[in-house]
Amino acid sequence: MNAFRWAELHEQQSEHFDIELTDEHLDAFRVMSGDANPLHEDASFAHGAGHRDRVAFGMLTSSFYSRLVGVHLPGRFAVLHGIDIDFTAPAFVGDRLRVSGEIVFLSEATRRLELRARIHNQDDKLLSKAKIRVGLHEQ
Amino acid sequence: MAEDILTRLQPIFHDVLDDNKLVITRESSALNVDGWDSLAHINLVTAIEQDFRIRFALGELGELKNVGEMIDLMQQKLAAK
Repeated sequence: MNAFRWAELHEQQSEHFDIELTDEHLDAFRVMSGDANPLHEDASFAHGAGHRDRVAFGMLTSSFYSRLVGVHLPGRFAVLHGIDIDFTAPAFVGDRLRVSGEIVFLSEATRRLELRARIHNQDDKLLSKAKIRVGLHEQ
Repeated sequence: MAEDILTRLQPIFHDVLDDNKLVITRESSALNVDGWDSLAHINLVTAIEQDFRIRFALGELGELKNVGEMIDLMQQKLAAK
């Protein structure tokens, strides 16, 4: 886990990590969230909606933005203040995701940073993009 | 110029405090505006920094009593650009 302090951060600083989506991810998220929509559970239903397989929950892949902030950038001392997300393409089980973020704004007065974050799949297709607002605590 | 800044601040406050009927004046402060708590303050400051393309220094805002004093500080920063 990274543990960047305020003085160690600068604009254009970036981090990323890779993760493969699994059946277990989708099943666990369905149980946790209570979102039982068949698009995420029933492959034949997903086919009918024009997808090649059941579609991963957008909020599941977005949970990796939490990991980006809490573990990678800035890491240990992060406090998530807010996030705006747009989904641009579906994700499926077996997809290899690259979750990346770059600091685009640092506010010295409030000790808040803003990340421009992205999730791409193994084909470098953009799946979602986000603006993430993060504070740092001094512990 | 101060009036222009005050006019430009209105939609920022509306968005951050989620209140389109709010009217901010030079006398407005966290003491008399509902919802202006510590996290809203961070949201307001960073929104102002990004909208006006200015930066406040650490501790620079702590002495300000109200929006009017913040506008005065903003005028100094905008004039120095």
